[in-house]
Amino acid sequence: MTDERFDELMRDAAQTYHRPPSAPLDEMWMEIEQRWNDGTVERSNGGRRTRWNAIKPWMALAATLVIGAAIGRASTRSVSSFGVRKLPARVATTASPSPRLDSALSSPYEAETSKYLGQTTALLIALPSEVKAGRADDQFLARAGDLLTTTRLLLDSPAANDQSMRALFEDLELVLAQVVRLQNNHSRTELDLVNQALEQHDVIPRLRTAAADLSAD
Amino acid sequence: MRHGAASVKTILDRTLSSIAASNPHHVTRPVVALHAAYRVSEPDLIARVVAGDRIAARELYDAHAPRVFRLAFRLTGDAALAREFTQDTFVRAFAQLARFRGDSALSTWLHRITVTVVANAMRKVKRFRDRETDLEDVSLEHHDTAAADPVLRDRLHRAIDELPAIYRTTIIMHDIEGYTHTEIAEVLGVAAGTCKSRLSQARAQLRAALADLAPEHDT
Repeated sequence: MTDERFDELMRDAAQTYHRPPSAPLDEMWMEIEQRWNDGTVERSNGGRRTRWNAIKPWMALAATLVIGAAIGRASTRSVSSFGVRKLPARVATTASPSPRLDSALSSPYEAETSKYLGQTTALLIALPSEVKAGRADDQFLARAGDLLTTTRLLLDSPAANDQSMRALFEDLELVLAQVVRLQNNHSRTELDLVNQALEQHDVIPRLRTAAADLSAD
Repeated sequence: MRHGAASVKTILDRTLSSIAASNPHHVTRPVVALHAAYRVSEPDLIARVVAGDRIAARELYDAHAPRVFRLAFRLTGDAALAREFTQDTFVRAFAQLARFRGDSALSTWLHRITVTVVANAMRKVKRFRDRETDLEDVSLEHHDTAAADPVLRDRLHRAIDELPAIYRTTIIMHDIEGYTHTEIAEVLGVAAGTCKSRLSQARAQLRAALADLAPEHDT
């Protein structure tokens, strides 16, 4: 094929290959605003983190135990808790490829999510005693870093299609980010920040509700 | 006159702020258009978005979303996915805007996010997608705007679809969407020379894919 002929074909492709329709600007903006209103944008911006001001150190152990219990319950029932049944409106209203994709992807992510929840539970339960005993070493905190990375990957995966699971991931992202920060500062204040992260986002009441819902299923 | 113009701008800003405050959860286009007429620079807009100004956010969005959507669609060939990836791009961009240092143009930064969002998501899509069905759907959307042989065109489109991601992104951005090598290099975070090399490789692979059709379609 001559260069000229190939160039001609590529010029044609510029007109015909995945020819874009008009961008649905208003519809997309409504969705972006909705996600903004839901707190996704502000949360990533760090706005909420700066508002932590209540300090209740005794919450650490109780909170992590509650998290552990609820996550444990959620992980054993994760098969029924996310997937096609609870697809959010955003996904459900798109054209056929997306729902098909989500349903096809749910199984591998369920396994990964279950494993992740188990590891996160173990880490959060162990955290207060590890810090108190001065055993929250680099390896322990590196695990928290790995779990934080996994959290962010899961947030971008179909595992987060279920709204309640997404909210849980988002709050765990904040908690784990604070745990990772302990690497540089093992002070009581830093541990308190972890507790505040749990409290600020009403993690415990929400987990109690989630646990009750799961029991009722 | 300058003083007068400044006063008008101040009054307008106050009015628009009160409109925004009265309905902070939805910013409509007329408000943005009115606001945009008195805006001066993108850095100013960025600062306002970081401060939580949704009118400014909508203004930035209006300026950049069409091209982001266009790029997402070229890369995915699916309107629903392009829409979702465009939304993801802006949600991420607004969330991370405080960290945007202005080392590159905002458009470059946004397109970098777009390419990342699309690349990450499409890896998952490709594992599960029924490609035959999708390709048939896409081919139905094409319009015969050029004189290319339909068979050859279809083969070329399939060949582009099947290119490795780094080559495909490069050739779509350069040959299909008209980005310069410098722009592509900034978006992909590679040297311009690497970009040129990838484009050359991509073209070579496409030509190889069409080689068996070449004799009969070369005239």
